[in-house]
Amino acid sequence: MKAFIIALVVAVAIGTLAAMLLNQQQRFAYQAFTTSGTRVSDPAGHSNLVGPHWNGVTPDPEKPSKS
Amino acid sequence: MARMKFLCDADRCIECNACVTACKNEHEVPWGINRRRVVTLNDGKPGERSVSMACMHCTDAPCAAVCPVNCFYTTADAVVLHSKDICIGCGYCFYACPFGAPQYPKVGNFGSRGKMDKCTYCAGGPESDFSTIEYEKYGSNRLAEGKLPLCAEMCSTKALLAGDGEMIAQIYKQRVIKRGYGSGAWGWKTAYRETVAI
Amino acid sequence: MRRTLTTFRTLVAATILTAAVGASSTSFAQQTRDGMNPTGQNPTAESVNEEFLFKQDPKITGRISIPDGKAAHLIQPAGRDYRDFRERWLPWLSALAVLGAVALLGLFYYFRGRILMERGPDTGRKILRFNGFERFAHWMTSSCFIILALSGLNYIFGKRLLMPLIGADAFGVVAQYAKFSHIYLAWPFMIGVALMLVLWLKDNIPNKIDIDWIKAFGGFVGDKHPSAGRFNAGQKMVFWMVIGFGSAMSVTGLMMIFPFALTDITGMQLMQVIHALIGIAFIAGILAHIYIGTLGMEGAYDAMGSGKVDLGWAKVHHDLWVEEEQAKTASGPQLGRHQVPAE
Repeated sequence: MKAFIIALVVAVAIGTLAAMLLNQQQRFAYQAFTTSGTRVSDPAGHSNLVGPHWNGVTPDPEKPSKS
Repeated sequence: MARMKFLCDADRCIECNACVTACKNEHEVPWGINRRRVVTLNDGKPGERSVSMACMHCTDAPCAAVCPVNCFYTTADAVVLHSKDICIGCGYCFYACPFGAPQYPKVGNFGSRGKMDKCTYCAGGPESDFSTIEYEKYGSNRLAEGKLPLCAEMCSTKALLAGDGEMIAQIYKQRVIKRGYGSGAWGWKTAYRETVAI
Repeated sequence: MRRTLTTFRTLVAATILTAAVGASSTSFAQQTRDGMNPTGQNPTAESVNEEFLFKQDPKITGRISIPDGKAAHLIQPAGRDYRDFRERWLPWLSALAVLGAVALLGLFYYFRGRILMERGPDTGRKILRFNGFERFAHWMTSSCFIILALSGLNYIFGKRLLMPLIGADAFGVVAQYAKFSHIYLAWPFMIGVALMLVLWLKDNIPNKIDIDWIKAFGGFVGDKHPSAGRFNAGQKMVFWMVIGFGSAMSVTGLMMIFPFALTDITGMQLMQVIHALIGIAFIAGILAHIYIGTLGMEGAYDAMGSGKVDLGWAKVHHDLWVEEEQAKTASGPQLGRHQVPAE
């Protein structure tokens, strides 16, 4: 009985771990299917382009950095 | 009721991708999901042709048949729609779809890839017409406004036709007779088990 | 002199031009009607058409300007065949396999009944058959298997049996969680199969004793008990079925957990077909395993329950193994050196 209960607990634990790991590597379509081909506005604002590192949050329209 | 279909006249399509852009803008489709796309065949070779493709709203749709949760339904206009509340994102519809229409918001593992998204023929979803929730899930509902899908409506060369199957087949037939050639209604045999006789 | 040459050249050029225009205007006059193609050629003469492309390849593929490679397939009519398999054949095949297995086991139980323990001098004494870790590996794999089998069958029969009972919305929720469990419990299942392979491989190599065991029908027919080592030929078959089917399910399953990572749409359809077919065969096989391990044979369940089986039972069913175990220690039935007593 002890082996059975431990087996259930471990199965759920491995399953949860697998779920966490799998969801960590999950990518949104907008991340996976993004190219660097188009850039419409000032790159410093980077709100117009959903780049490969976009986290889903649109950054504040801060002052464009002079370069 | 009409039997709504799409027809892409490949001899007119110039691969401008305006249909793709129109669709994305009309429904606020996120980046990376293309309900409509333009595929170029024989690219760069003589006889190159482009075909604009989306969900063809098949007769006896394979996606609806294979869905393990029966989330698809066909409207009175023969438009194939689905409910994102019931969809479990299993991906079987993508395997069965002859046109590669179904897409998912996440592309990694299949466990949590989210609800399927596809062309709605600008007809929204099961929620009540013009509701915010319908717009957020499925995009705008032009059909309920008495308008046809935007992709076809704004096609610059009128290559993409949308509307009642008989009517658009008639338009295409007239074109073919007038100009003397036509490469056929792409995908019709697979989607509707019939083609436009020329 | 120079002027003459220029005049001559002009004359020649004019003649050629007039001739050219004359020649082309004839064909122009023949071909040009309102809306017609002015060159007189059929521009589709060279163009691709659906029929021709389907003759070259079962699916039409082109170039797209979006980074999603899957979208490059314009038409793949094979989706219809996949649908035919999934909707026309699979429900019947799986119903046949699962219900057939249950029916066969029912018939076997009806005619043969429960295989009872034979009373003997050693009845009542215990010998350790599976240690705690072995039982852990078994139960982890088997509990995952049951969930995987049920959620797997839900993909086929859920909409036919469960959905009419509880309604579309509730079924959507159930199916969603069934899918999560299918994906995530697949991982402990795969680990369990690998553990069992390591634990029991050395006892499951087929040998000559197995042939005699099979010739005697494993003792199911008649009263004689053919000798067997730690695992008899029937158990070895279950072991190799679990290893074989388990790894096939793992490979096809992993391909589906990471869709399109290694294969295209045709490959994905094939993976799904293989996964489903082996899955139902696996379920049917495991039903027989569950039957013989519980209801079918008295005393067999203890092996995985407490880990200790009746010595009398063991001597009848696994005589060679008992001899081996007893030889390890001079003084009769004992626990193996590295085996940890359970409970």
